Amino acid sequence: METIMELQDVWKIYRMGEVEVPALRGVSVKIKKGDFVAIIGASGSGKSTMMNLIGCLDIPSKGKIYLKSHDISLLSESDLASLRGKTIGFIFQQYHLIPSMSAFENVMLPLEFLEYNDREAAKRTREILTLVGLSDKMHHRPSQLSGGQQQRVSIARSLVSDPEIILADEPTGALDSVTGREVLEMLHRLWKEHGKTIITVTHDPNLAKYAHTIIELKDGEILRISENHEVN
Amino acid sequence: MKINKCFKHAFNMVLHSKLRSWLTITGIVIGVAAVIAIVSIGAGMQESMNAQLNALGGDIVTISPGFERGGGMFGQRGGGGEPQATTKAIVLGRSDLQALKGLPDIALIDTNIRGSVDISYLGKTGKVSVTGVDQKVWSQITTTKIKTGRMLDSADQNVIVVGGRLAASYFIQPIGINKMVMINSSAFRVVGILDDQTNSVYMPIQMAYQLIPEKTNDIYDTLVVKIKNQDLLDEAITNIQNKLMISRHVTSNKMDFSITSRKEMQQTRADTMNSMNTFLLAIAAVSLIVGSIGIANTMFTSVLEKTKEIGIMKAIGAQNKDILLIFLFNAAFIGLVGGIIGIILGTILSGFMPALMGGLPLGRGTAVVTFNSIAMALSVSVTVGILAGIIPAYQASKLKPVDALRYE
Repeated sequence: METIMELQDVWKIYRMGEVEVPALRGVSVKIKKGDFVAIIGASGSGKSTMMNLIGCLDIPSKGKIYLKSHDISLLSESDLASLRGKTIGFIFQQYHLIPSMSAFENVMLPLEFLEYNDREAAKRTREILTLVGLSDKMHHRPSQLSGGQQQRVSIARSLVSDPEIILADEPTGALDSVTGREVLEMLHRLWKEHGKTIITVTHDPNLAKYAHTIIELKDGEILRISENHEVN
Repeated sequence: MKINKCFKHAFNMVLHSKLRSWLTITGIVIGVAAVIAIVSIGAGMQESMNAQLNALGGDIVTISPGFERGGGMFGQRGGGGEPQATTKAIVLGRSDLQALKGLPDIALIDTNIRGSVDISYLGKTGKVSVTGVDQKVWSQITTTKIKTGRMLDSADQNVIVVGGRLAASYFIQPIGINKMVMINSSAFRVVGILDDQTNSVYMPIQMAYQLIPEKTNDIYDTLVVKIKNQDLLDEAITNIQNKLMISRHVTSNKMDFSITSRKEMQQTRADTMNSMNTFLLAIAAVSLIVGSIGIANTMFTSVLEKTKEIGIMKAIGAQNKDILLIFLFNAAFIGLVGGIIGIILGTILSGFMPALMGGLPLGRGTAVVTFNSIAMALSVSVTVGILAGIIPAYQASKLKPVDALRYE
């Protein structure tokens, strides 16, 4: 399988006054296109840092990250934003919807940044919201939606620009178990039926069960990478 | 992101932070309203002054004895005072009148004397200023209109024309046409009431000589000259000056008479008004600056408040320029709305101002809201908004997505 993302000896060091705190220490990993990857680890293991780097929201202190063979540290901020918008869809634990916008507007936003024409963007947004089962809630504000519905809006937003990678940060973290399972089923469908590459950061063992590749982090290093052959 | 989308998001931002945006907008409204009101009143005064200038007659020149030269007046304006010990009193007389009559630039010459007299009507007395005029030409030279009755006529004797206020309210009973009033114990019939607000009395000059004891026949306080062609005013003044210098045997540095034109007086008044306008505009500008600081403050707060949203937008593909434009448009929008409301308020205010300033001489006339002042106010308010928004917008655009997302 083709490699969609590669981390080569990636370090992320935070400076706390005089002290340097390494959050990631020489992480190297290849993520294949169409894989379902779960990054797991205890709190402080470097999961979130790795997630930010994979999502191109941050750049490494040392080492190289390649997204579709582009070295992200060589890209300008604008090019990186544009590549991120086209290639990666984000699902956040706290949904991160814009409160003043309706579900429809939130979902359409990435298309506006990619300068889609209005008609096409609206059509695509309606399709995606229907896909996640929110066709009747399109014009609700986030505050008028339940947690599960907000997460579905967030999933719809991550999908709308048809990115190859869906990056989910604790997508079930704020949801009850039933809603959480629905979201997991949805991610599984996206992987299985739509061929998306799913990368998720979690400490939810249920979520990890859905993943094909499990990367286990400890103290900023990869403890092990295992494959879950039971998942299909 | 397309420009129109940036504008839409900026507009939504204003809509969703109603109270704060409106408070900021109020700051701009006050500044712009003040600018509009002041500029409009200024334009109104200018317009009314131009009208007054035309009404007063830009073609009228007044000649008086004495000359103002740095330290003070040379000679005596009154002309009828006690002669000084060493020099003869400087006066305007018949010879000057004759000299001027020969000038082709001049259409009419009115001879004036002025003095204070006792006036009584129906048993009530008072003191007013009387002007003796050449009744043959006065009606053609004066720019004051008659309200009731008529002007003085060449055959008139023992008749007067009185100012509007004197007729209406100086005495308990208003003075009407053909009423008799006593001036220094002589009876005069009122033939005309002027359309003005003065207590003045006009009478034939020969009658005035008799009433004002200190005045001597054929000595005038002022000569009021109407010139033929207003466009050649300066030239005419020079000719008058040269002619009088010859007839009075004086040189330009020993000139003993003054020539003033109403145009000149208006110019002085215009200069005074311009400085007043500039001063008021400076005050209005200060309030605009305060308003713009308000915008900057709101924008900084807005950037802080929206840090997380900026992070989200960047994560889902917003480029720095998109964020920059959204915040800049937001600031410009606040300026624009403030400008529009300010123009409306300023227009209303400028309608009331002349009434409020009615007591002041410069307050006469109406305010005129010009297209220029509206265009200026709008561009200034939008520019102020953009300038105030530049730094906050730049800060917002430079936020790192990872830091912005983490912001609580």
